[in-house]
Amino acid sequence: MKGIFSLSVVKGFLAGLAGTGIGMGVMMLIRAIMGMPAWKTGPVVVAGILTGVIAYLAGLGVFHYWFRWAVGDEAKEVDAPPVKGWRRYFNVDTNHKVIGIQYLVTALVFLPFAVALQLLGRLDLSKLIPAISASAYESVISTHGLIMFFFVVIPAFTGLMNYLIPLLIGARDMAFPRLNAISFWLLLPAALLVTFSLAAGGFDTGWTVYPPLSAAFENVGMDMVLLGIYIGGLATILGSINILATIIKMRAPGMTYFRLPIFVWSALATTAMTLVFTQFIAMSFLMVLFERLFGMGFFNPQMGGQVLLYQYMFWFYSHPAVYVFVLLGLGIISDIIPVFTSKPLFGYKTVALASPGIAAGGMIVFGHHMFAAGMPAVLRIPFMATTLLVAVPTGVKVFAWVATMWMGKIRLSTPFLFVVSAIVIFLLGGLTGIPLGIVPIDLYLHDTYWVVGHFHAMIFGGFLLPTMAAIYYWFPKVTGKMLSEKWGKIQWALLTLGTFLLIIPMLGLGVDGMRRRVISYSPGLNMQLLHTLTAVGGFLVFTGLVVLAYNLVISFKRGEIAGDNPWGGRTLEWMVSSPPPENNFSVIPEVLDRPHMHGVSGSIHARFGNNDNNHDQREQGG
Amino acid sequence: MKLGMILFLISEAFLFGALFTVYYYLRAETAVWPPVGVHLDLPLAIVNTAILLTSSVVIWWAGTAIRNGNEKGLSVGLSLTIILGAAFLAITGYEWAHETFGASTSAYGSIFFTMTGFHALHVFGGILLMLSLLARNTKHKFSSSHYLAVEVGSLYWHYVDFVWIIVFATLFIIK
Repeated sequence: MKGIFSLSVVKGFLAGLAGTGIGMGVMMLIRAIMGMPAWKTGPVVVAGILTGVIAYLAGLGVFHYWFRWAVGDEAKEVDAPPVKGWRRYFNVDTNHKVIGIQYLVTALVFLPFAVALQLLGRLDLSKLIPAISASAYESVISTHGLIMFFFVVIPAFTGLMNYLIPLLIGARDMAFPRLNAISFWLLLPAALLVTFSLAAGGFDTGWTVYPPLSAAFENVGMDMVLLGIYIGGLATILGSINILATIIKMRAPGMTYFRLPIFVWSALATTAMTLVFTQFIAMSFLMVLFERLFGMGFFNPQMGGQVLLYQYMFWFYSHPAVYVFVLLGLGIISDIIPVFTSKPLFGYKTVALASPGIAAGGMIVFGHHMFAAGMPAVLRIPFMATTLLVAVPTGVKVFAWVATMWMGKIRLSTPFLFVVSAIVIFLLGGLTGIPLGIVPIDLYLHDTYWVVGHFHAMIFGGFLLPTMAAIYYWFPKVTGKMLSEKWGKIQWALLTLGTFLLIIPMLGLGVDGMRRRVISYSPGLNMQLLHTLTAVGGFLVFTGLVVLAYNLVISFKRGEIAGDNPWGGRTLEWMVSSPPPENNFSVIPEVLDRPHMHGVSGSIHARFGNNDNNHDQREQGG
Repeated sequence: MKLGMILFLISEAFLFGALFTVYYYLRAETAVWPPVGVHLDLPLAIVNTAILLTSSVVIWWAGTAIRNGNEKGLSVGLSLTIILGAAFLAITGYEWAHETFGASTSAYGSIFFTMTGFHALHVFGGILLMLSLLARNTKHKFSSSHYLAVEVGSLYWHYVDFVWIIVFATLFIIK
């Protein structure tokens, strides 16, 4: 039992609880001294949360090194792992591989939870359970959205980036390992805040948190969510600094930008976006919080504020955010296809540049979320044009993928199967986006289930299915064991079928005019069948996730030994053992050519140098 | 290390960018801006600007000092910078207490206090950074060949100063 208290996470948690209590007490004291009633839910809870989070971080031990640095001492290095085995994952550990797994596991824990939340809503809409209250419904779907964005998609991709990038570029760790650890541990209080907001009464606004409702909504659940996302955003920004600095500064000799795997190009584009745009959602949420706590009036017309201002600021982040959600998935697809078709990636340079191209294009389309909002009409046309144009670089990638597969020696292993489903669903999603980009059609489809079908297709095709491909592809590298192909294919079938069943009825419902975020609909509209089909799709997806969990557990215990390079990959991570050594590369490789030259005889990506003291001259090629 | 600070400052540029967006958007959409009843203390703001600009010169001089191995010069420079920074914050606090409007009076008040508030917070952070540099210098951590932290800290300080110039111009000159 004593051992438990040596784990950072426990120390942090207890410190956080204490800090929250102290913060709340101090705020009540201040209020009493200033002659106000001691307890007011908003200010007291927020004060508690802020002190709680700082206390939690201190309890974890992340400030230890910097505090010592600031007072001018030599700090003990905390990089050497003081614990071994599974305990590392519950401690503050600076190794990028540990942090990557911590992120991924967090994401995989929240994923079924968020799905289950939404399934509750689905059951209600299918009239298969007695109706739940409107407020509960709104809270459930809003929380589903926010948890998915900030505690599933972003951590999953951050985890993959953290684990893979140093390996892919030939580095021994990230540029700022301590900052890396803090970024991860900040995520937990953020996630807990948003999750427990449900217990505090939830929030009715939808994930977009528009004022005036968000500013006026009485529940403290709203404050928890605003703060939680703000903290999560901070974690994302810190992580972005790390990833960008690593890619820019720590590439192996010979690794020019145009010899990077597409995953790294996608990471560059993604983190460039999160670095700058996250501030806008942070500020817009903070301003809503200030309206609630301090009576400020940015968005309140009665005080001279403007309601639309929130939407402009919010969508200026949230649109690039959706590209953040899919770019890495597209990068994963681009890197996996050559391996399973034994052909070089078609148009490597163009595909590489398409990532920043999508990011740049994604900056200037955000108005398409506001066609029906009362934005000045003259602005709609330019946004329509840019929205339709941003499909071009994405289309380039799809074309390159198909061209790569053409006449290749295709191996239908699980990673490749997931890639194929991903491409099909992603394409479907993209096509359903075109009507949404056209103003007159969008005025009808806005806020209907067509939009919901569209973005779920994009997210399944651009995030979920590629992430499954990534898990099956890189699990052998991470653990040294193969995942079961049999269960992988079963999971693939469940997920693919579930995805189609989920999305296509939504598109139908949208055309029929079913609104978003409403708890019920008139029976005369005959929508029950479509709602039920969607729910069935959702359950199939959930079952697929259960199969994944099962596969992960049994393969970790009894999977077939993988060896260094079970798939015949050509990127740098396959040149080291599975799992990789603590420092990745005992000798930094020298990069000679592009990574995806499969099937091109005589081509080499990298080799372990000409040093006299290196007898292990292994080459990656052929 | 420097790249990390630069990336961080790029991100902060967007933070202040968001604040400026709010200010200018509200200004464009409101007939009377600043609203009736708002009287700003321009002379005091000019004094504050001068203080901050001086502090940037001082920190630059302190950086030169340590590049020439002058540890004492660095200490003097850092201390002066801290004092000037604290003065800036004190004057800001005074201005706040004597404004003719509050944060909850109007949207103008809200953005005024939020913008100056976030800037002041960054100055405060800068002061903490300077204090830790001072502490490390006292323990002889810096020399003519070893002063990266000073460079990084100076970069941050100049940046905060630069942002103030834009804040000052927005709130007090362009209005």
